[in-house]
Amino acid sequence: MIEERIRSTKRAVIPYVTAGLPDLDTTGDILDVLAAGGAAAIEIGIPFSDPVADGPVLQRASYLALKAGFRMCKLMERLGSWSARVSVPLVIMTYINPLMRKGLEDSLTALRDAGVQGVIIPDLPVDAGGIFDHCSRIGLDLVRLVAPTTKRARAREILSRCSGFVYAVSVKGVTGQRTSLPEGIDAQVASIRELTTLPVCVGFGVSRAGQVDELLGFADGVIVGSHLMQEVMSGTDPVERARDAFARLMNGSR
Amino acid sequence: MKGYFGEFGGQYVPETLLPALEELEEAMLQAFADDAFSAELQAYLSDYVGRPTPLTHALRLSAHYGCDVWLKREDLTHTGSHKINNAIGQILLARRMGKRRVIAETGAGQHGVATATVCALFGMECRVYMGSTDMARQRVNVERMRLLGAEVSPVESGGATLKEATSEAIRDWIANVDTTYYLIGSAIGPHPYPTLVRELQAVIGREAKAQFETLAGGLPDAVVACVGGGSNAIGIFSAFLDEASVELFGVEAYGEGNGRHGASINFGYPGVLHGTRSMLLQDKDGQVCETHSVAAGLDYPGVGPEHSHLAATKRASYRLVTDEQALAAFRLLGRLEGIVPALESAHAIAFLEQYSRQNSGRRVLVNLSGRGDKDVHTVFGGAA
Repeated sequence: MIEERIRSTKRAVIPYVTAGLPDLDTTGDILDVLAAGGAAAIEIGIPFSDPVADGPVLQRASYLALKAGFRMCKLMERLGSWSARVSVPLVIMTYINPLMRKGLEDSLTALRDAGVQGVIIPDLPVDAGGIFDHCSRIGLDLVRLVAPTTKRARAREILSRCSGFVYAVSVKGVTGQRTSLPEGIDAQVASIRELTTLPVCVGFGVSRAGQVDELLGFADGVIVGSHLMQEVMSGTDPVERARDAFARLMNGSR
Repeated sequence: MKGYFGEFGGQYVPETLLPALEELEEAMLQAFADDAFSAELQAYLSDYVGRPTPLTHALRLSAHYGCDVWLKREDLTHTGSHKINNAIGQILLARRMGKRRVIAETGAGQHGVATATVCALFGMECRVYMGSTDMARQRVNVERMRLLGAEVSPVESGGATLKEATSEAIRDWIANVDTTYYLIGSAIGPHPYPTLVRELQAVIGREAKAQFETLAGGLPDAVVACVGGGSNAIGIFSAFLDEASVELFGVEAYGEGNGRHGASINFGYPGVLHGTRSMLLQDKDGQVCETHSVAAGLDYPGVGPEHSHLAATKRASYRLVTDEQALAAFRLLGRLEGIVPALESAHAIAFLEQYSRQNSGRRVLVNLSGRGDKDVHTVFGGAA
């Protein structure tokens, strides 16, 4: 289970990998090195043609993966073997449209059948109650995002229909690396904690070990996406790049 | 359910934006219930925009097609298209909400020009996102926006048209949501935008219905408008939705046919793009398709959710017109009536060819949503 896994991991870092970049074989190899490197869980991103919540790096990752021929059916074929092989929980991160195309509930069930333990959907409809109920029924965690702009009543509503962990969005803005952490993120995490007993993980903008250290001072986990994908896209050996970049984050700044 | 038209519509947005949508909905409801807002809007519509726009009985076009054609002349508004109706209304709303910075997306540039215009009028900071493909083919409008003091940001991703411009505007909004008003240009996007834009464009239908009654008597047999996102169409349809005898026709861009078009309702499947669930051109994996139309304003894979609903309930029919047919109608209207329509609006005119074959003598009201100065160099082969 994701929740226990995050709690029991001393330095809970959750890396994000865009599937199919440059191909699914490589994605599988990257999952292996991230798991070996101590990832608490791994987010696998399904590329989408119109990623409105993403900054330039993840937009490019999505674009390149689609251009390289990413297909949903191929991913579904691989997921089963990945989740059997990789010792850490796999979480799918995707915009809602690719899941809706063949029926949202059926798609979620198919992910569960393939061994996926949770899903993160940044553009869930405002009333996601029915989707949460379906996920609960089939035993799939629905990780929800709480933004810096989210009001308390809305946060309460979200957190009553959230499982696995809470994804605290650290900044007003799209995904991407940032040099400094926004002020007030500790207070944001604290206010989320008042409403839930789930682990609270922080994402959006993390690129350095020092930031991970700082965030783990008050959060249960840290999500790193753009920084890793930037590395994956910038060298000739994406697997080695991912392993090294993740190792730097795990070693801490001390 | 709130914000839905049947099974279409809703709010599918990153959580960061949700409070801004709630704030907008509240401001919209307050404004629409406030006589002072209506009076202010009315004053700007008459004294600045130039409303009411005329209803023109197109006699030579009628003779050509063998049916009785009436044109609602949105091309005669200030800035030259119906987009100004929405822009002026939303800028008044933005001002009430205390916003100082405005962002917009644009395809053909008509909405960008309308937004730049109202921002100049009220001294607001304005940034318009526009695909680089569209910037090349609608250069005149890019220059107009810059002249009006707007910053035009080119968007290079994907097909570099309206879809990408809209995504980029949404990203800007997520990052600057506290200070920024997103002035969306069509009846698309998350609730409350489709309703807000319809209400602001409904003036077209209200005027046209009254003018038709006065000049022609009774109701038209059919109302025709082009549909990209669908704001001019929903604006004119809205006055006739409850008139069962009036047929409603939306005209989609069939481009070059064979998968190179923008006809979401005819060829799409329900899906989510830009915060709303509607008919969407997408592949088997739910990836959104690149589209094509000679008319930049129709070059969009989605459509306003209310149109999807009107199609599903069969209240309106959505028909196809190709690039070639639209270009022919563009020339025809100039030759016969001395009116150069926008290429978008030329799609509505071109539909009369299909309509008149089986409906000779019928009375048709066509929304001429904009003028075509911006398209002259496209038609004469000067741009992509």
